[in-house]
Amino acid sequence: MTPKHPSCRALEADLVATATGEAATDAARRVDDHARSCASCRHELGRYRAIDAVARGLRHDAPPVADVAASHSGLQARLADLKSRVLTYGIVPSPLGNILVARSEQGVSLVEYLGEATSLAASRLRELADVETVESSAEIARLRDDLLDFLAGRRRALGWRLDLRLAGSDFSRAVLSEASGIPFGAVTSYAAIARRVGRPDAVRAVAQALRRNPLPIVVPCHRVVGSSGMLTGYAGDRLGLKRQLLDVEGVRTRPASRDFRVAREAMYVRAGDDRAYCLPTCGDLPSHSLANLTLIASRESVEALGLEPCSDCRPDLHPLAG
Amino acid sequence: MERMGLGLFDDVVAAHHPEIYRYLRRLTSRASEADDLAQETFLRAYRAWQGLGPEANVRAWLFAIATNLARNHFRAESRRRRAYGAVGERRAEADPAGPEEEQVFRETRALLDRVVAGLPMKQRLAFTLRKVHDLDYEAIGESLECSPESARAHVFQALKKIRVSLNGHELLSMEPTR
Repeated sequence: MTPKHPSCRALEADLVATATGEAATDAARRVDDHARSCASCRHELGRYRAIDAVARGLRHDAPPVADVAASHSGLQARLADLKSRVLTYGIVPSPLGNILVARSEQGVSLVEYLGEATSLAASRLRELADVETVESSAEIARLRDDLLDFLAGRRRALGWRLDLRLAGSDFSRAVLSEASGIPFGAVTSYAAIARRVGRPDAVRAVAQALRRNPLPIVVPCHRVVGSSGMLTGYAGDRLGLKRQLLDVEGVRTRPASRDFRVAREAMYVRAGDDRAYCLPTCGDLPSHSLANLTLIASRESVEALGLEPCSDCRPDLHPLAG
Repeated sequence: MERMGLGLFDDVVAAHHPEIYRYLRRLTSRASEADDLAQETFLRAYRAWQGLGPEANVRAWLFAIATNLARNHFRAESRRRRAYGAVGERRAEADPAGPEEEQVFRETRALLDRVVAGLPMKQRLAFTLRKVHDLDYEAIGESLECSPESARAHVFQALKKIRVSLNGHELLSMEPTR
C-alpha cells in the first residue's frame, strides 16, 4: 500500500464503516463521492468489502455436531449437580424477628429464625458443606408474602412444596412429616407423634427432631407440646415465638412454673383419630394425658376437620370455658 | 410452588449453548477447552440467573460471561503458550462450487483465521463478536467492559490489521450465493 493522501486518511474510518455497511448515510455518501475520483480509495473500499464478506462467511463455520452434543450433555450433568446444591434465600423481617427463607429447585428447604441478625453470616447455611447459596429477594417474594399473611392470621396454611433434605435423618423426616399433618389451631404432644411414627418410646428423640426442624412455621412443630400441656421448648430457646405462633392460631397459653401451659380448658378435645370432638370436661375421654389427645382451639378449626360433636358432652350446645 | 423461576433456565441452555460453544470453540485451540469454558459459562449464568431483570438481553449477557471466562483463561494460559486457533481442524459447511474456487476459499479462510488469531485479544474478541456472532456494539462493549465506541474502535483496528495482513491475497467471498 502506498502512503495515503491526508484527505484519504481522514476518510479512512468512514471508508471502513461504509465497506462494512455500518456508516451513516452522510458518511457513506462522502466516501462514495470521494472514491469516484480517487482510485486508491476505490480500491481500498473494494478490499474492505471483500474482507468483510470473507469475515461474515465465518458465520457458516460450525464445529462438528457430535462435539456440540457432547458439550451439551456434559453441561446437563454438571447443571443437574449444581441445581441440587444451590439454595436461593431471602431474609424476611417479620413480627417474629428476621426470618431466613431458602429454597432449592425441589421446594422450600429452610426457614430459620435469625432474630436481629440481617445476614447469611448468622445462618446455619454457612455451615453446610456442599451447599451454594444465592441471595434473591425477588425469588423469595411470594414466599415472603405467604409467610407474612400466615403470621398475621390472614391464611391458615402455607401449602408450599417442601424439600426435607436438611432434616438430617429418615427418622427426622418421618417426625416432620407427621407434624405437618397437625391442623391449624390444633395442638398435640411429642408422645402422640412418637406413637404415630411407630416409635412410642422415642419421645425424647421426637422432641430433638422437632427442635432441629429446618422448616419451623411451615412444618408446625409449634403445635407440639408436652403430654401435660406445657410448651416445654421451641427452636432452641425461643419459647416466646411458640406462644406467638399459637396465639395467631387462637391457642391461648398461661404461665406455669418457669414455662407456659396450653389453656386446655378453653379447647375442644379429640381422642386419637375419632371422628368426634368433645368438651375438655367430657367424661367419655380416655385419659387426661395429651399422649393420645389433640386439642383444638376453635369451632372453626373443628369444622375444618369435619368432626362431629360428641353425643355425650354436646360441645355444639355448650360453650367452652375461659 | 407453581414456578420456581429456575425451570426456564433449561430453555436458556437449549437456546444458547450451541452458539456459545461455537464462539468459544473459535477462540480456543482445543475442543476440551471450549467444552470447559462453555460449561463454566452456563454454571455461572445459572447462579446469577435469578438476579437478572426480565428486560435483560440474555444472549448478550451469556456472551459477556463467556468472554470474561475466555479472557481469564487466556491470561492464565499465556505464559505457557499462545492461544492460536487450531485453524487446520476447521471445516466449512458452505463450500463454493468449483474446485479452484474451493481452493481459494480454503486458503482465504485459513489465512483469515490465522490473522484473527494473532490479533490483540480485545480486537480479536470484538471482531469475532461483531462479524461471526453479529452482536451490536452495545453488547460487545458489555462483553469487553468498555464503551460501545471503544468496541467499534476495536473492530475497526482489527479490520485495518486484517487488511494489511491480507494485502496482495486474492479474496473470495464465503457468503453463500443467493
